[in-house]
Amino acid sequence: MKAFRILNPGVQTTIQDQGRHGLMKYGIPISGAMDQRSFVIANLLLRNPDNAAALETTLQGLKLQALNKVTMSIAGADLDPWLNDQPAPQWTAFTMREGDVLYFKKRKGGLRAYVGVKGGIDVPEVLGSRSTYLRGNIGATLREGQILKSCSFSPGDSGGEVGLPQEYRPDFDRAGLIRVIMGPQDDYFTPRGIDTFLNSIYRISPQCDRQAFRTEGPAVEIAKGPDIISDPIPLGAVQVTGDGRPVILLRDAQATGGYAKIAIVARVEMDSLGQMMPGDTIRFQRIDRQRALDLLSEETQRLTRMRDFLK
Amino acid sequence: MSDTYPVIRAVAEGSILVEYEEEVSLEVNRKARQLVFGLEQVSCPGLEEVIPTYRSVVVYFDPLQVDADTVRGFIEDVNANLMEIELPPPRLFRIPTTYSSTHGPDLMRVAEHTGRTPDEVIQIFSAGAYPVYFLGFICSLAYLGGVPEVLHVPRLATPRPFVPAGSVGFAGPQANILPVDSPSGFNYIGRTFVAVYDPRQFPPTLIRPGDSIQCPAVCEEEARLAGEKYLGEFIESFQNT
Repeated sequence: MKAFRILNPGVQTTIQDQGRHGLMKYGIPISGAMDQRSFVIANLLLRNPDNAAALETTLQGLKLQALNKVTMSIAGADLDPWLNDQPAPQWTAFTMREGDVLYFKKRKGGLRAYVGVKGGIDVPEVLGSRSTYLRGNIGATLREGQILKSCSFSPGDSGGEVGLPQEYRPDFDRAGLIRVIMGPQDDYFTPRGIDTFLNSIYRISPQCDRQAFRTEGPAVEIAKGPDIISDPIPLGAVQVTGDGRPVILLRDAQATGGYAKIAIVARVEMDSLGQMMPGDTIRFQRIDRQRALDLLSEETQRLTRMRDFLK
Repeated sequence: MSDTYPVIRAVAEGSILVEYEEEVSLEVNRKARQLVFGLEQVSCPGLEEVIPTYRSVVVYFDPLQVDADTVRGFIEDVNANLMEIELPPPRLFRIPTTYSSTHGPDLMRVAEHTGRTPDEVIQIFSAGAYPVYFLGFICSLAYLGGVPEVLHVPRLATPRPFVPAGSVGFAGPQANILPVDSPSGFNYIGRTFVAVYDPRQFPPTLIRPGDSIQCPAVCEEEARLAGEKYLGEFIESFQNT
């Protein structure tokens, strides 16, 4: 079914889902929504499968018009969405009638909002995912005038108009402290370098996208390298380039690379990281692997409770 | 086999890094590829993906399904019988390439740096068959090695912001064919129009670690005609292992 027409694609809008997995050995990044938690919530609110494709829109400016009666949801960053001349509901499912216009005026908190549609956005799967991966010629940013379709769904399975309680809404203001697990190449840095890394404020540079955040801040002193014999790059790896600045690698990052990795961002931080933008400051905090695992199970349990609530 | 290698350690929540000797050589890379091949045959719950690079292997797993020690046990078991793991036979890809300053912005520089004529550079480079150590970076980039020493030229001090897909180049002993338009610091001397990467196919490239690639010199017209063909048509022969 034709769902809507893009009147204005905004700063950057792409189609994303949970990403491509198991293809790093072919040099294919996982891609997918940068804030997976908010993305999945957008689908849960619609009783879609978790992996139904949604729009990921950045900063501001996206404007779309419904071409049919469609059930929608908005989760993630607060980009001040308006439905015709009223503020649009967020963190809940709502209906757009044919001709209704949804417009994201201005960023208020976070960076990326997820716009879900009942059934999910219907674009062909490439390598098992509908996620756009610009550098790999998979999908493209949305264009003005583009018409998007939604996948079919069984009519009995309509979305409940249950809003997400406040306690389950992510707090994007928490941004600042990013927990990391040290290694695998932290021995490429001097003790003073490690100290600088863990006790300095880094600012996300304007050179940031879905592949990586470059940072500005004190240089981390390198003992050897920073070149290593190229090896795999896990999600959230923090590389240090020749100038001593940490670079955080994100969902569209290369699968392998040749800079020493001082640390890896804890998995529970990746969603908040996906909501950060140039100018935001971060401080890295060391945690051990066990603590990171405990945090990950807590987060998984919280998601399960939320899922049960929305059922 | 050395006593100190491999070094096996957990990295972050859900990966284990296995490192063989710290060098770029076919001998060490073969161990990494054998380990990957061996691990792909065992059934370990929660195991997500195994990736070889020059001298390392990373094993990604779901830490909520399986603990690192269990995964380490699987790795140690496979590694114990590493030398018995047989790899699939390597293949030779001969991918027609046009060499010129038009399609190879660094051809003249490489000639100057090596003290050879551009024709000699082309002749030496195109005669070589370069082994694929692994696939990675982005878009199935094949990491090729074995560029003859007479052609060793360092990377550009400042990478070029745009090099078109299909460009054929090298730096030090390494070579590559760019799968998509990219920035790069390699020295590019030619171009192929054969698609080495196609995300609409699975797998997105036919090239496998362990294969070899040769880039025979052809005229531009022939290179463009070759570009209409499927990569699989350029598998020339099976090599002896």
